[in-house]
Amino acid sequence: MSDKFHAELAETKEKVLGLGYLAVGMLEDALRALEENDPVRAEAVKARKRDLSNRTNALEEEMYRLIALYQPMAKDMRMIACSLLLISSAERIGRYGKDIASVVLRTYDDDPGATQRYTDLVRGLSIPHMGSIVIGMINDSLKAYETEDLSLVAHHSDRDDAVDALWHTIFREGITYMMEDTRTITRCTNYLMVVRYLERCGDHACKIAEKVTYLVTGEQNEIR
Amino acid sequence: MMSNNSIIRTAHLNLWYGDTPALREVTMQVPDRRVTALIGPSGCGKSTLIRCFNRMNDLVDHCRITGRIEFHGNDIYAKGSDPVEIRRKVGMVFQKPNPFPKSIYENVAYGPRVHGINDTALLDQIVERSLRQAALWEEVKDRLQASAMGLSGGQQQRLCIARTLAVEPEVILMDEPCSALDPIATAKIETLINELKQQYCVIIVTHNMQQAARVSDYTGFMYLGEMIECGTTTQIFEHPKQELTENYITGRFG
Repeated sequence: MSDKFHAELAETKEKVLGLGYLAVGMLEDALRALEENDPVRAEAVKARKRDLSNRTNALEEEMYRLIALYQPMAKDMRMIACSLLLISSAERIGRYGKDIASVVLRTYDDDPGATQRYTDLVRGLSIPHMGSIVIGMINDSLKAYETEDLSLVAHHSDRDDAVDALWHTIFREGITYMMEDTRTITRCTNYLMVVRYLERCGDHACKIAEKVTYLVTGEQNEIR
Repeated sequence: MMSNNSIIRTAHLNLWYGDTPALREVTMQVPDRRVTALIGPSGCGKSTLIRCFNRMNDLVDHCRITGRIEFHGNDIYAKGSDPVEIRRKVGMVFQKPNPFPKSIYENVAYGPRVHGINDTALLDQIVERSLRQAALWEEVKDRLQASAMGLSGGQQQRLCIARTLAVEPEVILMDEPCSALDPIATAKIETLINELKQQYCVIIVTHNMQQAARVSDYTGFMYLGEMIECGTTTQIFEHPKQELTENYITGRFG
């Protein structure tokens, strides 16, 4: 295959990585907006959604074009297979970020003093803690895609177990809060949605890690 | 490559043209009723290797061979082994279609006649069967006496396959059988190869990796006279084990 193809493939890889970081950035900023009860930051996350979709679609098209024109094989084929899955997972992660931003806007309250109460609730529900584990997993998956260093994703299965355990714990905690004070039901229900999105994002980090492993080794191993 | 059901085996096969080594320590097995493709850059020894399978290299001066080549477990270079008989059982189709300047019928009947068949009814049968197997019968049945030279390139190549089939071989060697053909004629030959493997062992040498991927069950990658890697075609094209194979398949060579 020509050098032209490999140059285009390298360029595509850069763009895929860029999309991945756009998505994880949306998730990170949305969580910060949630913790700080910050509608401006939340709006800024929502505003990035169009760019996220456009870039995802353009990259998908670009990879179909590479397949059609060059019929890549072996590692080149695996690179495209991995990248196609990566962009779809990245888009989902970015959209969960947007969904979390929507929660912030939906539950926003400009009453002075509200912010502290909500921050306490978000922290009480361990959302920042869970978020940092999930974002760490996504970043390591992306870094592994960039460098092909599989040691970065070697513990994804354990990390995902921790995320799943948190999801179940926080779910029970949220219900306890709601039973104690029924005025928190709307807010807590929204927050539990956020926790659910984070759990899904952890799964996407694992999915990306699986495909990066396939890219590097040619082996398909499910991370669960 | 598959260990049971192999029809051809080589062990530590070395070949020199004069002082130049062309094959080095090639050990492989070719399964029956499957298509095996040999790929590799020009001059890597793939044509030389298949020419060993029917002793075509005997015809080359200064060619020296060591090691073993077995056909059904018998050493084909053993004393008393008959090259003519081996070439009947291991037929060959070449890069450029090379029909004889005779009628279509005579092209196919030639081999059986050489092997002593003169009964007209039997020859008619053989010609029809061979042309049908080569997916050419419908196109030529009304002009069997016409010159083979009037056929298109793709038809000529299928005629050459029919000519090979007429002497009832067990193995069909194909050396770049489609490289002189257009894509439609190529597709017909590829479909034909897929049908032929029901009854024959097919070994194809090709420069076209997509073709190897499309038609073969097993693939061997050769480089500088060595068999670098053999495996199922899926494995070779999806995740080759050797870096050299990977580099060749993805075009990162040299």
